[in-house]
Amino acid sequence: MGTFGEYIKSALSSIRNNKGRSFLTMLGIIIGISAVLTVLIIGDGMKATVNSEIDSLGAATISVSLDDTKTDKTITREQLRLIEENMSNIYGISPSVSVYGDIKGRRDIYSVSLDGGMAASENGGGVKVLHGRYYSESEVEDAKNVLVVSQTFARELFGYEEVVGKSVEITANNQIREFTIVGVREDNPIDVAFASFGDDIIIMAEGPYTSVAEAFNINIDEMITSFSIYLDSENKGEVLSQTRAVVENIMGLRGENAVKVSSGTGFDATTNQILDIITTVVALIAAISLLVGGIGVMNIMTVSVTERTREIGIRKSLGARTSSILTQFLAEAAILTFVGGVIGIIFGLTVSFIICKVIDFTFTVNPVLVAAVVAISTAIGLFFGIYPAKRAADLDPIEALRTE
Amino acid sequence: MKKLVEIKDVSKIYNPGENEVRALNHVSLTIGEGEFVAIIGQSGSGKSTLMNMLGCLDTPTSGKYFLHGQDVSHMSDDEQSDIRNREIGFIFQGFNLIPSLTALENVELPLIYRGVSKKERLRLANAALNSVGLEKRKTHKPSEMSGGQQQRVAIARAIAQAPPILLADEPTGNLDTHSTKEIIRIIKRLYHEGRTVIIITHDPGIAKQAKRIITISDGMIQSDIKNPEYKDEI
Repeated sequence: MGTFGEYIKSALSSIRNNKGRSFLTMLGIIIGISAVLTVLIIGDGMKATVNSEIDSLGAATISVSLDDTKTDKTITREQLRLIEENMSNIYGISPSVSVYGDIKGRRDIYSVSLDGGMAASENGGGVKVLHGRYYSESEVEDAKNVLVVSQTFARELFGYEEVVGKSVEITANNQIREFTIVGVREDNPIDVAFASFGDDIIIMAEGPYTSVAEAFNINIDEMITSFSIYLDSENKGEVLSQTRAVVENIMGLRGENAVKVSSGTGFDATTNQILDIITTVVALIAAISLLVGGIGVMNIMTVSVTERTREIGIRKSLGARTSSILTQFLAEAAILTFVGGVIGIIFGLTVSFIICKVIDFTFTVNPVLVAAVVAISTAIGLFFGIYPAKRAADLDPIEALRTE
Repeated sequence: MKKLVEIKDVSKIYNPGENEVRALNHVSLTIGEGEFVAIIGQSGSGKSTLMNMLGCLDTPTSGKYFLHGQDVSHMSDDEQSDIRNREIGFIFQGFNLIPSLTALENVELPLIYRGVSKKERLRLANAALNSVGLEKRKTHKPSEMSGGQQQRVAIARAIAQAPPILLADEPTGNLDTHSTKEIIRIIKRLYHEGRTVIIITHDPGIAKQAKRIITISDGMIQSDIKNPEYKDEI
């Protein structure tokens, strides 16, 4: 039957005839939708702003790894050197060889996570060297026992920050080795997280991967399957496009699809993840208001059904089927929340635009998000309309006609 | 005369058990096509129950109801809706127009539920309103019309899709003398046009307008006579 349009029309006319009440019903949805939308847009703005600030630091990272389900190969020292030589527009590359052990400074013995890399990893954390210098390419080449630590850990080890030139003793894999501190750098968020690792402080230290491997009996030519590329974010696109080919050539892995390249891992990916979680949590809280709005729709629709019992009786006496009444009231609820959703979007966009301007966030609107919000608000109407509509549809026509 | 309505030994019992109310007690009744019948009874006589039964708004506790030879005594709600839509035009005491709709929209309603196309619907609804003399009130809402006019809209709604039966429940109960005359005149005319008309009333003055008068009390038919006073003129 082509009568669906007629039910929509009668739903619309009943909304028009009860303008005040319809608006009150919509109000909950308007507030809910605009709250959710505002949170999501400000979340997006926050992400865009933070990302552009990270980018403005100049550093970006590309991660390359070999898929161990596709190949058994490892990347040798020589191959790493060749890869770095063959890539253009990069600061450098660095593998990561970590050992865990104990470190003895002036004050106490602590746990240590010693991260061995190449000189280019200086660009990784986006933090500055405050005292001394980062370890150099020649120290990597010659496997010198040198270290860089962060301010927090310098203070833990020695009680003060300027510890350049001091020696520390590191015990790992049953080897005891002496390293000389050549630099102290700013803390990064990961250091701070590890510094408050319960009672056990874990000291984060960085040194040449060659010396870390030699000192603690690690055969580096047999264990490295991944490395990072450090570069200026301006060159990201160009570098990304050449990386796979260069690595596949040097590793002899062409056509095996064994090289995985991903950008944005590391600092900015972690940050984005955290920002996404924050946005989701706040949006969920805002969504509670949407739920309350939906219950409001159910409430007022139920009152409306009670008030219009006689009308429903008349319609039934004229031959309206259960499904016709159900459709009419469901359509009414869905139209109410759809219109409420649209008003909520306009309101939410205005509010988030103003907030973004005031706190200087990037204002971006994702059309998919807007469409999803409209769909959600309509779905809320359908869902919360079921109960009142079912009540209306199940009314007994004789009883309904008898009510005044 | 072809049988249109055939009620066989119908009873309706409310609250079965100790306090049961026998609203209809083994009633049998036949109404042929093109008859003009008044069912008269005092309040509590069972006439409203009979009218609900005849209008397929209610089903009997026992007995059978054949409409056009089809057993409609034990149908689902939706089947009953379809039967009402196709077979019966209701005219109620309280007019029962939907206040938010215009006269034309009210008349269109049963046609919508029947699935009649927009164009055809407008044609039928307009014709029905014209036939009750409401050409100029089509866009008026019920609150903007007098009782008599509202009842004429209700009649237009009842006849718009030309159902075989017109079932009028105290059609003039809420009207003044002038409007009552007007409505009775229209109902008589519809009878003359070939429709089967059943009026349910407590008012002997209204009942004597009909060609056949059935008196009901205590849920049973007391008398079923041809009206000696019936006048054929409109």
